[in-house]
Amino acid sequence: MTTVAPSGGTRERTSLAAGIGAVPPERAGARPTGRPRRFGGRFRILVAAAVTLVFVAPIYLMLVNAFKSQDDILANPITPPWPPTLENVTQALTRPDNLIPLGLRNSLIVAVVSVALLVPLGSAFSFYISRRRGRTKAAILVAFAAGLMIPPQVTLLPTIKILTWIGLDHTYPGLILSNLGGGYLSFAVFVYVGFMRSVPDEIIQAARLDGASGLRVWWQIVMPLVRPATATVVIFLTLWIWNDFLNPLFILGPLQGQTITTGLYLTIGQYSVDYGQLFGIMFLAGILPVLGYLTVQKQFVAGLTSGASK
Amino acid sequence: MPGTRRRRRETPDRGLALLAALALGLYLVFLVLPLLLSLRSSFTNENPLRATNDFVGLRNYTEMVGDEQLRASLKVTLLLAFGVTIAANAIGVGFAILLNRTNLSYRVMRTVAFLPQVLSGVIVGFVWQTILTQNGVLNTALLKIGVLDEPYPWLGSPNAALFSIGVVVAWVLSGFTTVVYLAALQSIPLELHDMASLDGVRGTQRFRMVTWPMIAPGTTISVTISLITVLKLYDIIAVLTAGGPANSTQSTALYIVKLAFTSDRVGYASAVAMLLLALSALVALTVTGALRRREVSL
Repeated sequence: MTTVAPSGGTRERTSLAAGIGAVPPERAGARPTGRPRRFGGRFRILVAAAVTLVFVAPIYLMLVNAFKSQDDILANPITPPWPPTLENVTQALTRPDNLIPLGLRNSLIVAVVSVALLVPLGSAFSFYISRRRGRTKAAILVAFAAGLMIPPQVTLLPTIKILTWIGLDHTYPGLILSNLGGGYLSFAVFVYVGFMRSVPDEIIQAARLDGASGLRVWWQIVMPLVRPATATVVIFLTLWIWNDFLNPLFILGPLQGQTITTGLYLTIGQYSVDYGQLFGIMFLAGILPVLGYLTVQKQFVAGLTSGASK
Repeated sequence: MPGTRRRRRETPDRGLALLAALALGLYLVFLVLPLLLSLRSSFTNENPLRATNDFVGLRNYTEMVGDEQLRASLKVTLLLAFGVTIAANAIGVGFAILLNRTNLSYRVMRTVAFLPQVLSGVIVGFVWQTILTQNGVLNTALLKIGVLDEPYPWLGSPNAALFSIGVVVAWVLSGFTTVVYLAALQSIPLELHDMASLDGVRGTQRFRMVTWPMIAPGTTISVTISLITVLKLYDIIAVLTAGGPANSTQSTALYIVKLAFTSDRVGYASAVAMLLLALSALVALTVTGALRRREVSL
């Protein structure tokens, strides 16, 4: 199991090239003369910046228009918000139906509780199974991996049926319970099993000889060793559960209050003309995941690419 | 030795075994059991409005053969899946090569490139709706600079709507593919590029002979995940067009939800769901298999 962060292996090169100025770092060794490259330096960064700008244009629109008045948005949707107005945002926050505060709260509860349970379940299962050998283990792991690929539309209806049997349909515990068993658990197991392989057997055996129980070895020795896996699992599952739409839409149904995604979907129709309000709501709904991503960006990218390099 | 170790393990492992069993149980109840129930339901005429459901044998499956809406939805699904996968991966490779530098400004651009992937499909859908709708940002801008004489129905005409959705989904996925390809690019040993330089191999030739084969593992994961993502895509289409106009953007995933929750045809919806499951498995296994073999042969 190797984790390749895009910035990881290149840090050395950067410092090596630091004194060479404009020569792109990875060329420094090959081009001691610093002769201008066909596609390097200034020109490259201009192209990169232009492409990036086009790429983020929709997000830029979302950001600037959240702080403009309706007239401003219609007249000049792409100009920066000057002077900025907070009216859209405050209006979105003080709606009589409490869409944003309630939606954020519900999404937070569902995501946090689901992930808090998925991490121990996924890692304990992975630890247990990775210490076993043979065909059963392989078969179970294949079955779990398959869960990553099953379209949620296939399991949605029967899941609701099962929740009805146990009296948890259209409830938050029901939604959380269904999160625990589906593809999310698959993902957690998939990531943890990869990391568990790199935990040296000797450490575990030594602990066992000291009389530590399986639970203790798992929690006090293995969990600290697989912290990068936990980071990956927590980050991605939080994001996916937070952004999930289909399951909350149908498992909760329209009467049980809304998560931020379903609330957005069900209420925003009436604002199709009121762009100010629309952008205010979208800004508030989108800002948390974006801030979260910016905070844990490094682990985010590392987690994303660890799978790619296995 | 292994024998003693095993015996030692038995008793104190109970707590851990219990936790593992709980995880397995949840997986069985909320993934395996739903699959089996869905399979069973696909042989019935289940409908929540009826008191009893009967087994109808293969009738749902034979009905699928003549179902025009299903055929159209499969076409939409496959067109989107392959079109978006190709576009998102081409953009990802290009973008990754462009951003494969370590200065601060490039790092900022990389951070930004992944942003679409962080937002929920619902938000992505609504943002693009304000861009693509009749009096949206795109038409306003194009009218202003004189490219168009009248607003173009980006979401209002069947072909344009499908294309627009493809663009939006490719935009979201490109954030992901870019990051994967960046990681793949950075795993290429520098010496390889240096050797290529010494041999005078550069430009497109170097891309074909060095870069492209070396990022093959990244391509495998990126293509596979792109395909699976589009096959089960729901939220972006639901927000942007809800499958319209005239079902022209109704993917099979959307069709299943419509059959199950709007038409109440649960049995038939389950049969279509089985088809989508088979399709996903087929696409994932064949494409991933082919890409894996390609990794080896390169």
